[in-house]
Amino acid sequence: MAYALEGIKVLDFAWVGVGPITTKYLADNGAEVIRIESAAKLDVLRLGPPWKDAQPGINRSQFYASYNSSKKGITLNLGHPKARELVRRMVPWADIVVESFTPKAMRGWELDYEHLRELKPDLIMLSTCLQGQTGPNALYPGFGQLMAALSGFYHISGYGPGSVCPPYGAYTDFIAPRFSASALLAALDYRRRTGKGQYIDMAQYEAALHNLMPALVDYFATGRVLGPMANASERYAPHGAYRCEDEEGNEQWLALAVANDAEWRAMLEVLGAKASDARFDTHMTRVENREALDSFVSEAVRHRQVQDLVAKLQAAGVSAYRVQNCVDLHQDENLEAFDFWHWLEHKEMGPSPYEGLQHRLSRTPGELRSAAPILGQHNEEVFRGMLGLSSEEIEQLQKENVIF
Amino acid sequence: MASELLKGFRMLELADEKGSFCGKIFADLGADVIKVEPVGGCSTRRIPPFLEDIPDSDRSLYFIAYQAGKRSVTANLETADGRALVTELARQSDFLVESFPLGYLDSIGLGYDELSRSNQRLIYASITPFGDKGPAKNYKAADIVTWASGGMMYLMGEEGRPPLQMSLPQAGMHAGAEAAVASLIAHYPRQTSGLGQKVVVNMQACIVWTLMNEQAMPIFHGDFLRRTGVFVGSNDTRRKMVFRCSDGHISILIMGGPVGAPSTIALVNWMAEKGFAADWMKAKDWMSWVPGILMAMTQKDREEIDELEDRVEKFFLTMTKQEIYREALKRRILLAPVATVADAAADEQLKARKFFVQVDHQDTLGRSLTFPGAFAKFSATPISPPRRAPRLGEHNREVYSGLLGLGDERLSRLRTEGAI
Repeated sequence: MAYALEGIKVLDFAWVGVGPITTKYLADNGAEVIRIESAAKLDVLRLGPPWKDAQPGINRSQFYASYNSSKKGITLNLGHPKARELVRRMVPWADIVVESFTPKAMRGWELDYEHLRELKPDLIMLSTCLQGQTGPNALYPGFGQLMAALSGFYHISGYGPGSVCPPYGAYTDFIAPRFSASALLAALDYRRRTGKGQYIDMAQYEAALHNLMPALVDYFATGRVLGPMANASERYAPHGAYRCEDEEGNEQWLALAVANDAEWRAMLEVLGAKASDARFDTHMTRVENREALDSFVSEAVRHRQVQDLVAKLQAAGVSAYRVQNCVDLHQDENLEAFDFWHWLEHKEMGPSPYEGLQHRLSRTPGELRSAAPILGQHNEEVFRGMLGLSSEEIEQLQKENVIF
Repeated sequence: MASELLKGFRMLELADEKGSFCGKIFADLGADVIKVEPVGGCSTRRIPPFLEDIPDSDRSLYFIAYQAGKRSVTANLETADGRALVTELARQSDFLVESFPLGYLDSIGLGYDELSRSNQRLIYASITPFGDKGPAKNYKAADIVTWASGGMMYLMGEEGRPPLQMSLPQAGMHAGAEAAVASLIAHYPRQTSGLGQKVVVNMQACIVWTLMNEQAMPIFHGDFLRRTGVFVGSNDTRRKMVFRCSDGHISILIMGGPVGAPSTIALVNWMAEKGFAADWMKAKDWMSWVPGILMAMTQKDREEIDELEDRVEKFFLTMTKQEIYREALKRRILLAPVATVADAAADEQLKARKFFVQVDHQDTLGRSLTFPGAFAKFSATPISPPRRAPRLGEHNREVYSGLLGLGDERLSRLRTEGAI
């Protein structure tokens, strides 16, 4: 069966997280995505762990591999004029160009939208960087971890005022791509209807703030600043993570959210607990007496088996699940039933574990069509096939550090 | 004028906080998004906190933010008339997004199989906490439960204390945005085939995807991460990434090697100017300093890191986060303030890009509200500020009469019978 995006062609100059994750959506759904990289300035993720067998190497990083499935990889040293000339020859082939350098880079190389649209008038081009193409901090260097702090996610993660317990990793790198992929797909439809391409300037910062919109609207209206508040909720009580019996030396925690009286009674029955405390009489008073409530629940579950509790609570209509660590995730039956984990054959790493898609289409399902490329894996195929270069010309360009 | 990106396309939204963000993104892109609410109102109207802490169906900050740009109709799905209205609306829609418990809409004749029979173009997205196949497919999942099932919760917090959620629930945001991408992927082939399809979004998987490089760590490196508070890495190689300053916190990852050294050298130079750098720090070859990453961390490395982190914090404590951030921008030091919404509201970069926009709420709230603006700047089809979120059933007449051609008499009978 055909893939949804078959026939769409993408030149992908992006690196690290947001850009490659954006084009991965396209590649896994059948678009032909060519990633342009260079040994002169390696994608930093190629240098990041985890590495196959814990041995570093530019073709051994699963960090890089996870975001570059289904793509072809070529190398071009854009600092070299001959490399830029080859890019100009490739642009007419592309429907979409994506790049994620700091804003001045593409302009400096004369590979910005104004130049590329002369070669391909209906081109759709996306530039994604941390703070956008314009403004005083457009050239801010950094990566997603810092963006998660700057856009406000660190400040709402902690046990209370003064406590900061950040989310793991570059959190905003996993927000922005869903916007940029939507943007590209909508722009493709607009081009189909009107014949017009366009330029899209996306700041990760601005996209990420959409995940905090209620708190921003609130601040502008009333001056209230949302802060860290552990697992407190105005909506659910109990609401949090409660420690259960350890298993094989590992802590086990139960995530639990109780929405109303009926669920509260169901929970008590499962826990075999009696709540004689008057502070627990109504949902409202339970919300107001969170600390006492947390102690009560903690005591009731401390020596229970977490998976047994989850099954019984859910059977009784209460929202609950184990707080899963990364080993648990690889053994999770629901992720398995969704066919989430994939082992793909990588040219250097051999069989490697990839996260699959987070959605499934019934008629034109996407899939991880191939493992990520090693550096320059498709040089021969692309430079011969698309540009018609001979083996001698390719060899010569390699010697000159153009294909590099 | 609304963006022309998806002009002329219509989405029906039958979703709570698991999927309302999908409709919001479609509305931003210019689609006509019709929110179908139960007669008592969508549950997202009751999500606290409320504007000025006044509980009211038009004052939930969640509702104000994420239902903006949509139209609202009411339909009681428990009645045959209510269901018939939704069927008719679906016939005239291009997209549908829903987040009911798995199988509920099928059971009342509003599933994909039923609705696609009269509209084969329909793209129908179901947002599910755990997918549609596994043993937990019928499990209930409040946002915190998805945060836990997807693995992010395990990594947030301190050793010996409970794992954490963020103060503003996030799983529904990831899932809603994923539904938007997936629906638009399905849209592309429909333009030639004329055929829609069913989309299933798995919320748990959406959270797993946010774990960055952690998933393969147990497989390739033999262990999994624990909660480490303000540190990153395992206990013996841990590095601090959040430091106190005079009015809050700064996030910085002090690294050597080609990626980190230029920034670290700039930081050390700045500290040296102010008398906060030790001599060894000034003499260090930061370019080849990568302990605990590409080489083992020795006792001496550990001591140096501890001293470095201690000195950096003492240095930062002499300044505010904005003072540090401004100077770091000049010196190209890779750091960021641990910003609050107040910091974002005052940020000069966002101001220069005119990011925040006004949304008129005069008729409902007697005021205007400030919103985050376009998530991206489109040269040909700019995203404009949304209309305010709708009142309950505000567009019943407009939609049921204008779109479905129902007369006044029919409308008032539907109202009396509790269908709308």
